[in-house]
Amino acid sequence: MNRRHVLIPAGALLAIVVGFLVWGGLGDNVVYYLTPSEAVDQRAGQEPGYRFRLGGLIEADWLEGTDDGVRFMVGDGAVSIAVEHTGAVPQLFRPGVGVVVEGAWEGDTFRSDTLLINHDEQYRAVDGEGTYQVPTTRP
Amino acid sequence: MTRGATALDPTSRATTAAGVVALCLVAVGLYMSVTAPAEETQGEAARLLFVHVPSAITAYVALGTGLVTAAWYLIRRSAAADLVSAAAIEVGVLFTAITLLTGMIWGRFVWGLWWDWGDARMVSTAVMFFFYLGYLALRRSITDHRVRAVRCAVLGIVGFVQVPIVHYSVLWFRTLHQGPSIIRPDLGNSTMDAAFIAPLGAALAAFIAVLAYLVAVRVRIARLEAAVARSTTTSQPVGASVSPPSGLSV
Repeated sequence: MNRRHVLIPAGALLAIVVGFLVWGGLGDNVVYYLTPSEAVDQRAGQEPGYRFRLGGLIEADWLEGTDDGVRFMVGDGAVSIAVEHTGAVPQLFRPGVGVVVEGAWEGDTFRSDTLLINHDEQYRAVDGEGTYQVPTTRP
Repeated sequence: MTRGATALDPTSRATTAAGVVALCLVAVGLYMSVTAPAEETQGEAARLLFVHVPSAITAYVALGTGLVTAAWYLIRRSAAADLVSAAAIEVGVLFTAITLLTGMIWGRFVWGLWWDWGDARMVSTAVMFFFYLGYLALRRSITDHRVRAVRCAVLGIVGFVQVPIVHYSVLWFRTLHQGPSIIRPDLGNSTMDAAFIAPLGAALAAFIAVLAYLVAVRVRIARLEAAVARSTTTSQPVGASVSPPSGLSV
């Protein structure tokens, strides 16, 4: 094998490793969303109107449709945040399901304009009647 | 050379048989996927499970085959291992593409978006896809057989690093994509109802059979291409082996 046989693949390997190290080195920055606890903790350091994604479970206690969206609580078991979402509500939206909302703080409410469903890795067969049972918690 | 192209050739008949088996398994997998129950949260969209997941696992298997045969080539300098490695990786790229496409459709239906560059699973899969596209491009850019085989073998081995990265991305990073349901750290505790396991297994068997068939066909094509290249470069002037097709004119 001459030098080029080694150099090209070695370069490719290096590129992959460096790429993933840089990416992995960003560490906690590579999170798709903040949990409600993290959102509350980090709020002091954020500029007003700072946009971020907030992810958690839709809580069952308080949930109401509005003219142009929905109001509900997103929680992670420790902290719950009221979300006022303007825009389309996905078909899978229901208490107990995970969501990721994108927007910013407005007072103590999180005002969102993008609502994504973030379901877990559970696959439950619909029983004979096709009834829906509210899932309890994520593992 | 013509012997390899006839239908009576044993490898040709084995390939055809593999194709028939694959077709039967696809039919069974399709039937079981359609008759499986709907899923509580995702409803009917969860049926994409029976395409997306087998496709991803089949891509892993194909790229793993590419890795093992590439190593085999480097150890034994077997021309057959080189051909199988390239064929497996090429088909692996196809299944990676199917995984990406079905994932996008599923994501649109269930999560509410086609794609997001902020998601580690999506991005790592896309990186892997483009890396192996690069492998295929490299393969076409080198004419010398031995140089091509060595470089592709090393690239095929190196690139496989990405398979565990793709699989574990959902555990290492906080993603929109959910974690693994079956191949998870607590392996015994599948989070998938038994009603989905059988159709998923049937679909996976079908995908693996299709993989085997496509690789066999691709290796045959590569062999024929190599034979044509040899016959045109060694014994005849350029163009002499090309004659107008006979029997096709009406």
